[in-house]
Amino acid sequence: MVKRITALLCAACCLLPLAACGQSETASSTQEIFAMDTIMDITAYGDSAETAVAASVQRINALDALLSTNNTASEIYAVNQAGGTPVTVSSDTLTLVQDALTLCARTGGALDISIYPVLTAWGFTTSSYQIPDAATIENLLQYVDYSKVLVDSAASTITLSPGMEIDLGAVAKGYTGDQVMAVMAGSGVTSAVISLGGNVQVLGTKPDGSNWNVGVTDPENPDSYFGVLSVHDTAVVTSGGYERYFVGDDGVTYWHILDPDTGYPARAGLISTTIVCSSGVTADALSTAMFVKGLDGAEEYWRENGGFEAVFVTDDDQIYITSGLKDSFSLSSGYESRSVQVIEP
Amino acid sequence: MKKKRFSTRFWVILIALVLAASAAAAVLLHVFASGTVANVYLNGECIRSIDLSTVTEDYTFTVEGDACTNVVEVAPGKIRVQSADCPDQVCVNTGWITDSSTPIVCLPNKLVIRIESDAGSSSVDVVAK
Repeated sequence: MVKRITALLCAACCLLPLAACGQSETASSTQEIFAMDTIMDITAYGDSAETAVAASVQRINALDALLSTNNTASEIYAVNQAGGTPVTVSSDTLTLVQDALTLCARTGGALDISIYPVLTAWGFTTSSYQIPDAATIENLLQYVDYSKVLVDSAASTITLSPGMEIDLGAVAKGYTGDQVMAVMAGSGVTSAVISLGGNVQVLGTKPDGSNWNVGVTDPENPDSYFGVLSVHDTAVVTSGGYERYFVGDDGVTYWHILDPDTGYPARAGLISTTIVCSSGVTADALSTAMFVKGLDGAEEYWRENGGFEAVFVTDDDQIYITSGLKDSFSLSSGYESRSVQVIEP
Repeated sequence: MKKKRFSTRFWVILIALVLAASAAAAVLLHVFASGTVANVYLNGECIRSIDLSTVTEDYTFTVEGDACTNVVEVAPGKIRVQSADCPDQVCVNTGWITDSSTPIVCLPNKLVIRIESDAGSSSVDVVAK
């Protein structure tokens, strides 16, 4: 009898740890890295999560080395320093520059990857902020024209006109997100979530089959989020004036999203644009381009082109969503009193 | 008949007590885990873990990284970077954080302060910004 009861007691003890856990969890792997001048969180679920995350980190670091504007060993640096001569580049750089130029053209230049000389004059590339004088901006704008970026895909070369410089800051994280999703899928992962400095991309659904809940940052109070998007298999990319800005001696806030037409911070009435789109590079590019276009221009672009959904916040605190988000967007707690206007096709 | 040293009832009560104690421990652990714990990471490595729910008085400590130095202030239920000699001051401007929605990040110094276990606010999986 004692033996039997001792055995029972032992069995009970063995079960205790299980009772404490409550539920079995899907295997997962998370890594946080610093790359592309920002912080990135990579999480994958499932048996191959660990190898997939490691491969993703490797891919990110490789792309960072190719695409960074200030890394003197990068291909983009070489292109910018070539003084008008063709530079041979890898297929990643070639593909991304081609994709970016397509988006520059489609948005009518609201996105322009050749804005870099003006961005530098404002100090946004170094954090030594200053307000350039009008003549400086006017002078630099002559070098801003994405259509003068020549890509020869057969020879794998990129050529800029002398004085021009390109910067893939508005598309590199989106492209990288797409590449990470491909690495994850290739490793057999069906559930993953990444944040590349706030550029969110999700693969599949959560391990329990439910949608991912992606918060959308409140541009007036970037520590919280005003809305939640319930999504799967998509990129969610937000651009806002709160991301990188300074307040000048004149008391005016200057942010890093410049209007390529004027060389000054884009003030078209929007303070935040969020793009929901299966392609990370498109979402990234459009979040900037729609910010530059403003609400009317963005609505028009969405109606004409489609292929994405969006959340806009105007400078008078109005929230707009495109009709495809009607069922997936909700206001978060504390924001229930805000009204949401739906943009119909 | 051989006398039993302990009755069956004794064992049943003992097992019940052990199970009850473990259940209580599990509940307590869960309660403590859902307090507000701030983890301080330098270069991706956790160098400090602070249970903000047990902090009663303000204090500061200094994080020396490769690039610069951050002075971190801890207060009941919240944490912030009080001052730093980094160029952009983004970490300082983030101010106090009290939940897991936004971490404090000092990119130049590769410092991240993140509140990781917070019962109330994790209704989203990730935040786009």
